[in-house]
Amino acid sequence: MSLSASQNRAGLALIAPASVLALLFLFAPLSSIFVLAFTDYQLGDRSLSFVGFENFEALADDPTFWKSLSNTLIYSAVVVPGSMLLGLVSALLIDAGTSLRSFYRTAFFLPVMASLLAMAVVWEFMLHPSFGIVNATMKALGFAPHNWLKDGGIALYVLAVIGIWQSFGFNMVLFMAGLSAIPRDLYDAAEMDGTPNAWARFKLITWPLLAPVTVFVAVTSVIRSFQVFDTVHALTQGGPNKATEVLLYTIYAEGFEFFRSGHAAAITIVFILLVVGVSLLRFVSLKKNGASA
Amino acid sequence: MRMILTAAALSLTASMALAQTTITVQYPYPELFDETQKQLAEAFSKKHPDIKVEFRTPYKEYEDAAQRVLREGITGNVPDVTFQGLNRVRVLADKEIAVSLDDFIANEKDFDAEGYHDGMRQAGAVNGKVYGLPFAISLPIVYYNMDLVKQAGLDENSLPKSWDEIIELAKKINAQGEADGVMAEWSITGNWLWQAMVFANGGTMLTADETKVAFDGEAGKQAIATLARLATEAKSPNMTANDMLAAFSAGKIGVMVTTTSRVNAVTKQVGDKFELKTGVYPDIKDGVTRLPAGGNVAIITAKTEEKQKAAWEFLKFATGPEGGAIMVRTTGYMAPNTKAADLLKDFYTRNPNQAVALSELPYLTGWYAFPGDNGLKITDVIKDHMQSIMDGTRAKEAEAVLAEMAADTQALLPRR
Repeated sequence: MSLSASQNRAGLALIAPASVLALLFLFAPLSSIFVLAFTDYQLGDRSLSFVGFENFEALADDPTFWKSLSNTLIYSAVVVPGSMLLGLVSALLIDAGTSLRSFYRTAFFLPVMASLLAMAVVWEFMLHPSFGIVNATMKALGFAPHNWLKDGGIALYVLAVIGIWQSFGFNMVLFMAGLSAIPRDLYDAAEMDGTPNAWARFKLITWPLLAPVTVFVAVTSVIRSFQVFDTVHALTQGGPNKATEVLLYTIYAEGFEFFRSGHAAAITIVFILLVVGVSLLRFVSLKKNGASA
Repeated sequence: MRMILTAAALSLTASMALAQTTITVQYPYPELFDETQKQLAEAFSKKHPDIKVEFRTPYKEYEDAAQRVLREGITGNVPDVTFQGLNRVRVLADKEIAVSLDDFIANEKDFDAEGYHDGMRQAGAVNGKVYGLPFAISLPIVYYNMDLVKQAGLDENSLPKSWDEIIELAKKINAQGEADGVMAEWSITGNWLWQAMVFANGGTMLTADETKVAFDGEAGKQAIATLARLATEAKSPNMTANDMLAAFSAGKIGVMVTTTSRVNAVTKQVGDKFELKTGVYPDIKDGVTRLPAGGNVAIITAKTEEKQKAAWEFLKFATGPEGGAIMVRTTGYMAPNTKAADLLKDFYTRNPNQAVALSELPYLTGWYAFPGDNGLKITDVIKDHMQSIMDGTRAKEAEAVLAEMAADTQALLPRR
């Protein structure tokens, strides 16, 4: 089927606004980042010169960058399974119960809506080494108190726990939407066929039918966990000694505190590649699912 | 109705005839300085009816301030006067955004006698040229919880004068088991307190030609040893700045070493919980000691000669005795101008804790900014090394840490 010239023109006119906006707000800034990454530019300079891969070579030698990258991956490896599992369990519990459903839904969703920066202040007080409620509880239960945010060995995991607390409500809502899409008669049929218990029903029906939602939740969780910034900025500033330095915070520090725009742009490219990689994974898995169905 | 219009028109022409030059001014921290700047502009317009001051929307904080004026430097849209963090004068001078004040100063008679002393000019100087005059400054001082100090057997007449005495006092407070003895806010802005400790011993950050690290000399060795003793002997807790302030205000820390700019907030938070007293920074030695000024500085960014002249008048007023007095009354920062204190006698009698740092003014010097493209990155490197001492992990090998800190800093300095 071929389109007439006027249809063609109409089509082009229709996609024009979207493409202009995409060019202006997506491709232009992205390509300027790519250009900056290969220059020695610093904020405020009136000129710049190209330095080839120098910024990337500097990154390869920079222990802060490697620490930041590995911290981001560790953080993600804790937060993604944690927030997915907690999100799924709470969704199943709320879905199974009949009373107070909307109350629980709202309560668990609250941290997602609250400003993380404001919540960070609350966490800071709770985690205070000498009179925080967390240490007071630990002492009352007979455990040794910790200097949560200043102990390089645990600070990143403390931030990860805050990350889970903040994001599992979002996953819960997504899982609940997925659950409500599963036809009830499947469960009735399974019961008539004699599935022994809830776990078997979950394995046989809920989990497989939730798969597309689970993939979506996994991918968004990974990307969101890569984007952790507020808690780091508010609570630890990447410290102590880079123990909680994550990619986004490094970009911020390099670009806006040290004014090393070229370095910041180079890290941004690494970050973009990571996110694009994860999105591609999702694309591939969706395709595979589509092909087998 | 017609009368109002005529009156408005008349006052408009009147003000137009007077306001020949308009200067735009931009400053950070609106929550601290809105009232200050408003009163400044009012008082200034009474003295200089020919100059009109207009404010741009304030910067959020120092980072925002530096970023915005750097961007505006590229587009050519800078204000005429900008207030910036004191350690950012250098980057603005390097990028040729700040206007040198040397010619203006040379044309002034009795500039020293008006209270604009040498230390004040040094604070805004880069490579021997003055680019800004400090406006609202802070210096390092010591905060005492007098209840804990008295329990340890000292009183306001026997407060420590040296780090040795602070560490002794801290040990006694530790021994009571109620609170931590001492904590210094070593992490503030990355290296401000480190500079204070090195400058106090007569040291410098780099050699005079700025090619080599100098903080690993004798002054630096003493400074790092003191920090290590705070961590080991005085068992200084390892906390963030916010946690430290909360703990001190709750009576859980006996002695706190940090900036004067916290006096107002700490006084409010402490309330009636205990008696708060401030003391001068320890080990001040005449002829040796220098102390770096924190806070903000007024810089001229105007392009035309006419605006630069008007901007200079505003700068002189804001950083002069009268402007300084307005600033102190409205903020709790210190005025660097030595004549401002004369106008503030009543204020300082009512707020003795604010007055303590006045005796440190003669030792005022610049908050050093490292040269080159990695200047601000160096701050971060120093902070990380200090962290490894203050959390105790490497407190026993302080000199080795100092050597590494010097090597890492050296690697980031411009190669010539």
